[in-house]
Amino acid sequence: MSKRTQSLVLPLLAVITGLILGGIIMWVSGYKPINAYVALFQGAFGNSVFIANTIAGAIPLILTSLGIAIAFRTGLFNIGAEGQYWIGAMVGTWIGYNFPHLPWYIHIPFALIGAMVAGGIWGGLIPGLAKAFVGAHEVITTMMMSYIAILIGHFMLERGPMMAPGYNPQSPLVTMSATLPTLVSNSNLSAGIFIAMVAIIVVYLLLFHTTFGYRLRTVGHNPMAAKYAGMNVPLFTIYSLGLSGVLAGLGGAVQIMGVDHQLTDTFSSGYGYTAIVVSLLARNNPIAIFFASVFFSALSTGSQVMQINSGVSPNMTDVITGVIIFFVATDKLYSYFRGKFRRSSKAQSEQKGVSVS
Amino acid sequence: MKKRFSSLALSAVVTLSALALPAVSAAAAQKHAAPIGANFKVGLVTDTGGLNDHSFNHLAYVGVLDAHKKFGIKYSVVQSHQSSDYVPNLTTFAQEGYNMVIAVGYLMDSAVQQVSKEYPKTKFLIIDDAITNRKNVMSAIFDTQQCGYLVGVMAGLMNQQKHIPQINGKNVVGVIGGQDIPPVESYMAGFEAGVKKVDPRATVLQAFANSFTDPGTGQQMALAQISQGADIIFPVAGGTGTGVINAAKQKNIFAIGVDANQNYLAPSTVMTSALKGVDVATEIAITDALHNHFKSGVVHFNLANKGVGFAPPIKAVPASVLKKVDSFIPLLVKGKINPPALLSSH
Repeated sequence: MSKRTQSLVLPLLAVITGLILGGIIMWVSGYKPINAYVALFQGAFGNSVFIANTIAGAIPLILTSLGIAIAFRTGLFNIGAEGQYWIGAMVGTWIGYNFPHLPWYIHIPFALIGAMVAGGIWGGLIPGLAKAFVGAHEVITTMMMSYIAILIGHFMLERGPMMAPGYNPQSPLVTMSATLPTLVSNSNLSAGIFIAMVAIIVVYLLLFHTTFGYRLRTVGHNPMAAKYAGMNVPLFTIYSLGLSGVLAGLGGAVQIMGVDHQLTDTFSSGYGYTAIVVSLLARNNPIAIFFASVFFSALSTGSQVMQINSGVSPNMTDVITGVIIFFVATDKLYSYFRGKFRRSSKAQSEQKGVSVS
Repeated sequence: MKKRFSSLALSAVVTLSALALPAVSAAAAQKHAAPIGANFKVGLVTDTGGLNDHSFNHLAYVGVLDAHKKFGIKYSVVQSHQSSDYVPNLTTFAQEGYNMVIAVGYLMDSAVQQVSKEYPKTKFLIIDDAITNRKNVMSAIFDTQQCGYLVGVMAGLMNQQKHIPQINGKNVVGVIGGQDIPPVESYMAGFEAGVKKVDPRATVLQAFANSFTDPGTGQQMALAQISQGADIIFPVAGGTGTGVINAAKQKNIFAIGVDANQNYLAPSTVMTSALKGVDVATEIAITDALHNHFKSGVVHFNLANKGVGFAPPIKAVPASVLKKVDSFIPLLVKGKINPPALLSSH
């Protein structure tokens, strides 16, 4: 198997294994897995509104996972995308409701750029500087910054400066001029999908067709060699984490301006964490990230309908996700089995040609 | 090794085909004789707390189940993962022709506003929120300051008891809120007022956990209050509260349950629970809608219509205390005492 097919087949195998194991668990707990999966599929792709919702759910995942992928490519683990997403959402919301007189063609870019800058500072500048100059590990710093961001978000809403008049912990609605238009009525799908597509292309070109991207990846492959070749490794660390935060922040703002229209305590359900899984599954490939994001979003939107139609708890999809992560993370296991498999098939006759893949 | 691998693959195939078999007969089995509510479908949308919150989502489900037992209504439940699920979930039910859709929690306010406008023929019930401008929406508001007041009175009286091992004589009680929002605050404000009514010199410690789903934080905050002398703690914090109840059990002091009767979480130390009749309200709303008596607008649930109350206390609570607490009920019902719904610190 060439490296390319391997990077396609292994994640697919992980997904299939996840679905089968999930099915067995449902079966053991007294549900009908086929029915459940049919309902899951219908809920994700059954009609235009469901499809639109699935794609809508993929948008924040795409943007955050692109960011995480850039960091991964540079050998950095941005575990705090959730917080950068919150910061982006917060800034996007704030700009979104505070400048009602701006025309949309200024207001929307203003909010998006504001969110990107804020996310970049939160995810990149602070942890990046800490890593580059005092060697603080980015897993710790991005994670801690993430908690701070989320808690600031709650503070802002719970009788804080961003709370809307009234008694609910929610911000005012963003004005129409800062709202991304909905593409399919009665669905969550907004023009944010175009932003996500552009981001995929930009990140792809940046990583694989620019010197800058080449340097980022070199730092990721071997920081020593990069340093020896005259690259400023600390600087690229900051760039990489910064871009990571920029994309996560953009994701938060797009979600607010396209779907939620206001910041609430529960507006995010851990996209920043799911995005890590998405990047892993997509092996940090921007194009694959699109499909992996749609897949995880389909699991999430489908699980809601699965629950209505077959009574299976939506948490079951978390189980499936967990199994998938396990198998993606342990792809060495596959290589090991394949090695064994090959050796033994050479030894034996080829009659029992049952293969797993 | 190959054998093991191929048998694994084989068993996967076998399992898959075995899974396919029972699926065929599934649809046929669900038909029953038709009771009055047989054609009445109720959809329940939980907020992000989920069904196992030991609290209002759970209670709404209990209400739906009660209606199902009584009238044979059909029902379905969907647990929301995040706030952007609210609109799709409510819409799915409305689209599929559900007669009544129940939205648990004020978090769904704008979602219900939006979906109820698009589906005027569907009836909606929202818990803990006031939507007044829709003919097809009933809003259930609970005057939980009343039951908070009653358990506060009980806590204040208990705190002055001399011969109860859990009571330390320091005259301190604690209350831990999930978030600083009205449905939580009304409990807390009522509690504080109740304690002060019978025990003016008592110290009431207040804290917010900023989460409804974090028992670990709940436990820590409870331990902090216990170290400041608290011997009765009232958590108003959903799932976070279970941590408080655990801490109280561990340190052998009293806790007071919230929303549902939570005595089962720690039978010897949860001395009572402040009850919020979300189940009662849900069942009433379904019953009314089923009989074409649906009431739109805000409906208050309080002591007078048994929409709030407190659970029977454990034996450690002396009969004299219970009698005194009971004596406050008519005063509250008649409006001679109106406990505050907002904390004095705001």
